[in-house]
This record gives sequence, C-alpha cells and structure tokens, in this order.
Amino acid sequence: MQQSKGLREYFSDFETNLAYYFSEKLNRLLAKPRWIYISLSHQCTYNCQMCGVVNILKDYQISTPEVKKIFDEISEWDWDFTVVITGGEPFLRRDIFEIFKYAKEKAIGIEVVSNGALIDPPMAEKIIRSGIDNIAVSLDGAKEGTHDLIREKGAFRKAVQAIKNLSEAKKKNGFGPQLSVWTTIMKENIGELFDIIGLSRSLGVECLVYHPVIVAQEDMQNTSPHARFWPGTKDVETLIEQIRMISDYQKKNGFIAFLHDPFLWVKHFRGELTRGEWKCNPFVFINIGPDGEVRSCGASFGNTKNMSLGECLDTKEASQARKMMRECLKPCLQTCWANPDADSLSGIVDGLIQRVRNSRADKGDKKRILSAALAKLAFYEEMSKECQT
Amino acid sequence: MPNLKEVIISITSRCNLKCRMCDIPSGKIDELSTSQWKNVIKDACRLGAQTVVFSGGEPLLREDIFELISFTKKNGMSACVTSNGTLIDDRTAGRLYDSGVNVVNISLEGKKATHDFLRGKGGFDKAIAGLKELRKYKIESTVAATVSKYNYADLPYVLELAKENGATTVRLQPFNVIFLRDPGCRKEFLINKAEIAVAGEALENFVELSKKHKISTNPSSYLHKIPEYLSGREFFTRQCGALWYSCPINPNGDVFPCWIEAKNRLIGNVKEKSLYEIWLSERRLKAIRDIMKKGCKGCLMSCYDEAFGDELPAARVFGKIKKFKKLADSRKVINKTRQFLKGALVRSRLRYRFYSSYGGSWQVVLKRKLRGMFAKAGSSRKYPQDKNASLSSEISCLRKKIEREMRLL
Repeated sequence: MQQSKGLREYFSDFETNLAYYFSEKLNRLLAKPRWIYISLSHQCTYNCQMCGVVNILKDYQISTPEVKKIFDEISEWDWDFTVVITGGEPFLRRDIFEIFKYAKEKAIGIEVVSNGALIDPPMAEKIIRSGIDNIAVSLDGAKEGTHDLIREKGAFRKAVQAIKNLSEAKKKNGFGPQLSVWTTIMKENIGELFDIIGLSRSLGVECLVYHPVIVAQEDMQNTSPHARFWPGTKDVETLIEQIRMISDYQKKNGFIAFLHDPFLWVKHFRGELTRGEWKCNPFVFINIGPDGEVRSCGASFGNTKNMSLGECLDTKEASQARKMMRECLKPCLQTCWANPDADSLSGIVDGLIQRVRNSRADKGDKKRILSAALAKLAFYEEMSKECQT
Repeated sequence: MPNLKEVIISITSRCNLKCRMCDIPSGKIDELSTSQWKNVIKDACRLGAQTVVFSGGEPLLREDIFELISFTKKNGMSACVTSNGTLIDDRTAGRLYDSGVNVVNISLEGKKATHDFLRGKGGFDKAIAGLKELRKYKIESTVAATVSKYNYADLPYVLELAKENGATTVRLQPFNVIFLRDPGCRKEFLINKAEIAVAGEALENFVELSKKHKISTNPSSYLHKIPEYLSGREFFTRQCGALWYSCPINPNGDVFPCWIEAKNRLIGNVKEKSLYEIWLSERRLKAIRDIMKKGCKGCLMSCYDEAFGDELPAARVFGKIKKFKKLADSRKVINKTRQFLKGALVRSRLRYRFYSSYGGSWQVVLKRKLRGMFAKAGSSRKYPQDKNASLSSEISCLRKKIEREMRLL
C-alpha cells in the first residue's frame, strides 16, 4: 500500500512538471506557481550594498487582512506550493506571528528569509514554535569584517547570535523549522565561500544555499554589472577554485543545496550565460509586493487589492509579462526560478519511467500509472496541436 | 581611392502601397530575371562592393528575393532590404532569417495618423507588426523616415518607436522630388521659412534622444541641413561621394551614376554589357566628369551623407584613374581568394565596415556585432510553427517509449 502511495507521488510530480513544461511552451496558464514570495514591506534594519529594495515602495505595507485573504485563496488550490515571506526584514512587522499562525491553520508551508538582526532568544523561541517550515538567515562572509562591510557594523555578530539562538531553541524544543543559511556570491566574499560551510555547520545550520547577485533588475534590486560588488576576471578565477572545493564537500557530505550546476555562476559573472543553459520558467514563481502588485519579473500582473490572486495570474498583462520573460536573454540564476526538472520533456518522462522501474510496487499498479501518464501526454499533444492551428 | 561600396538594386517597381511622396509604382518596367540579377551580384563582388541593397518598389513582392539575398551572402557581401514592412509576417520573417539577410530597413513616417495619411490606411500597424516579427527572429532592423512638412514634428516619436521595437538605426532622408512624376507637387511637401526653427528644434530633440537611447542616425552635420533643405534651399556641390561609392540599378537593368541623374544620364544596361564592364567604362567616367564639372543642386539623400564629412578632392581622384583601373583588376584576384577563404576574419571585417558606414561609435558597432553573434548562438534555425510540430513528434516518440515500458512489465 505504501509503495503504491510512492508511485502516486511520482505521478503527481510528473503531472506538475508536465504542466510547467507545457505552460512555458504554449504560454498558457496550465500550472499554479511553485513559489509565492510575499514582501511584507520594504523596511529593513540594514541598507546592504547589493540590495536596493529599501529605496523602492517605501511607504507601502501589505496589511494583515490582505495577507490573510491571499492565504484563504491559495489554501484551496490543489497544488504543491510554498510561501516565502521576505521583505525588507520581515521580523520588523509586529503581526508576523499572527500571519504565521494563520498560515499554520490553513496548512500552508511557510519559509522566512531574515538577516537575523532582531532574533534574540525569546524571539527565537517564538519562531521555533510558530510552525513554519524553514527559516533562512543571510550570511555573507565567514569573517566579521566581510559581512559587516557588506551590511553594517555589528551585523555579523547579530546574525551568528541569531543562528545560535535558533539552533538552541530548536534543540530545547525537539522540533522546529529547518535552519538554513543563504549566501549571496559577490566580489567581497568570493574567497570565503568555502569557509562559510565550516562556520555554519559549527552553528548547527542544516542547509546552505548560494546564489549569485542579480544584475539590473529594476523592480527588485537596482544593481548593475558595474557595481562595486560585481566580481572581476581575477575574482572569477578564485570563484572557480572555491566551487571545486564546495562541490567536493557537497558530494561527500551533502549539506549544500545546489539549485543548478555551480559552474553556471562563473558564466553568469563573465556575462556568458545563455538561455540554452539556464532559463527561468515564468510560471514557477510570483512575487507579491508590499503594494499588493503581483509580479513575476518585470511588469505587474495585477493587484491583489482589486482581485483575487488567481485572477491576477490570468490577466492579459500576465501573459504579456510572461512572453517577455520567455524571450529574456539574461538569465539571472536566482533561487526563485529554480525548476530545472521541468526543462525538458524527455527528461520528465524518462524520470517517471526510471522511478517506476525501480519501485517495488505491483505490476498492475505500475501499468495503471503508466497508462495514466500516456493519457496525460495525449491530452497535451492535442492541446499543442490546437495551439498550432 | 574611391571604389564601389554599395550596389542599390531597385528590384521591382511594383508596390502594394500608394504613397503620396512616391510615383515609382505607377511606371511599369520590365524586370530582369533571377539569373540576370545573379550575374549583377557576381560583378558587384568582383568590383569589391561590400553591400547590396535591395530596394524597389516593394522588394518582398518578388518571390526570388530570398534566393538573391542568400546568393549575395554566399559572395561575401552584406545584404540589406528596404521594405515598407507591410508584407513581413511570421513566414516571411522566417524566410528572411534563413536567407541570412543582414539588415532589414523599414519605413516609418511618424505617428499612426501621419503614417497612414502618407502611406495609406493600415500601413502603420502592419509596419510595426513587421518590426516585431523581425525582432522575434533577431534580424537586425533599421527604421527610415522621409522627412517632409507632414512629419518633421513626429521624428522623436519615430525614434521612440524604433527603440521600443528593437531597431538599431534611424535614418532620415528629406523628401525628394525625383520620385514624383509631376515636379509641381513639390511645394506640397516643403516647409515655409517660419517653420525652419521649429523643424530645427524637432531635429535637435531627435539627435539628443538618439544619443540617450544609443540609436545611431545620420551624422548630425547632415541632419542640421535638413530644415533648410526642406525650405527650398539648394546645397550646390561638385564633389558628391555617391557618384564614386554607389551604383543604382533600375528593375530593367539600367545603370545610372546616381538617382538624381537617373532621368538624364544612362551609362549602360546590364542586359547588354556586364556591370563590371559598365562600371569601368569610359562612358561612366565621362558622365561623372560632366556631372562634377556642371555641379549638382544637392539632394541630401542617404547615399550622399557617406562622404559628407570629408568631401573628395576632385583633382586627386582624376589623377589616379589609371591606377584605379589597375587596382580594380587586382581586386578581381583579391575577391577570388576572398571567396575561397570565406574566413571569419574577412567576414567580420566586412561586417564591421558595413556597420561603421552607418555611423556610430565603435562601441555601438561592437555591441551590434556581439548581439548578432549571440542571436545566432541562442536561436536554432527553426520556425516557431516547426517548434510546435517537433513538440508533437517528440510527444508521440515518448508515448511509444512508455508503451514499450508497459509491454516489458
């Protein structure tokens, strides 16, 4: 019985991946987003070098009832998704735990990204008990000087202390969210990437994510390749060495969550990354800004204040913005668009076949799953023919 | 030493539009066949030309245009098509892409109302759609506008449109009477003296915007002469570069020294003699000499701006005509080896020269070149319809795979 349940999971993976694949190919809304980012407000304790968010939409704040309305709607979706709460600094909001609680009632998976400045022991206790799935603290260097240079004086100590508080609280309670560290790769910290592993392991972190800094994304971060933090040619050589060490470590111990081949970072910083190597699927990710506007990348889809999120996803503006994203020649390697599983059709189908072959389920179950997959494919085949005409 | 740079082939006199400032389509002329045009292109290559411009009429009305473009490319020259953009749909853009065309030039006269007034209703929307199709296939597109009384105020808007739709260059050319049958109509398009300042301001705006958007245009010294020219002033010259650099050919194969002199001076027909012979003939040199002696009223056509900055000292040119002939012969050899090599170096140099002839800083030239390279690397040579077709074939292939797996179970 359990094994057949495993098969069903494989099939639902297959279904979602197919939906993403054909949504992107045919530019039709067949899938719901995998990641829903909500920026509660753009207020932040720091003003980091690589991030211009603090200067945009200063006076906007998405209100608690609005967030609840969104949660009400998405909890009814028959879809596997995760809500990521970002900001600014989300813990500046007083109602943050109310939001967490509401999400827990609705059984929505929540991840939070913080800089750790406000997480003292009582706060850590509250966070651990709030029932969220993942808390990520940004750590931009293994040394105090580096992190403080990028952020603000004293930021490193606060972040490290925050992680310690969280892991202690987690130990004490015996349960809690996954503790992770997010590191932005840039010029200043490029020599310390590997050292961050040791540091965060000693602090009791369970997962580490690297992501390169963004280039010129007007809506989110006003940065450009000429900025101070953009690695030059020499820095990229150091990066290559670091990547070798990191990927060796990852092979042995796991711990690091690679969202894509790390050598793509090198290409990214050299400006050689093409759409053939990495592309974002415009249907995977949406970001709800503090003003309530729904965006994916670039233009706004609609505002959640006037209509429901589902309606926002289906507007003309949405399909146009997605069209622009499909033609984007500047992939930015961010964490939000990571769904490489749905990039190639044969990959999706082969994956299913392999998993079915390796599972120990009954032959009858296997046959049923495969015939269901056949029917699904036939359905999409007809749809693509329709689009052609 | 002046040498043939650009062959302008008016490939047909037919056109699907009836514009106010052009009477070319009304005069019916017999057209040359594909093979005859191919001979012309071969000769142009022998003479060292770098660019072949296909103009008209509407060149896309000819079915063999794609074949001729790819033939031009095979001979190592750049191919440029001047179109009104109304016929460029998805299929045509795909065929243009396959032919390897370097640049497609589309005419935009101004805002929708202005454009439709000058070029006929619906022309604007179709031209914009054409530009978008070209962008889809990553074909470099440029925009051209004929400046006249009706549209000088719209020029900054044209630039914005070009930027929006991914065009790299906006070329301006003042209205010229030679394309009209009745010269009396000229007054209709000219501006009065009071408007000179206004037009000057509009052009100033245009130049500033072009710098801001990094879109190259004609040299600004040239642009600043347009308002005065439109008010009726004549720019008398004896040293026009167009006579040396460019070679216009009519649909029936008549070769002229220049478009302005087209009505008076014929220097040969490619049906009777090859372009190579015509270009090096005494008859042509005599014609040019006559024009230079007599002087020309000046036209401010776009071929003219090439030598606008540094005008050619006539004496130097005539002193070296004999050497020039020898050089042309040696150029035959060079061109043959060039055809043999077809190496990347030669091509990139040609391409560089071609772009630099459009004016613009070397950064802009380099950027365009890089963009072209990336576009080729990024996009496979398939049409979108074909992509969908291959999608369904891929699906059926995968279905067979699953069926096989089921049988194995």
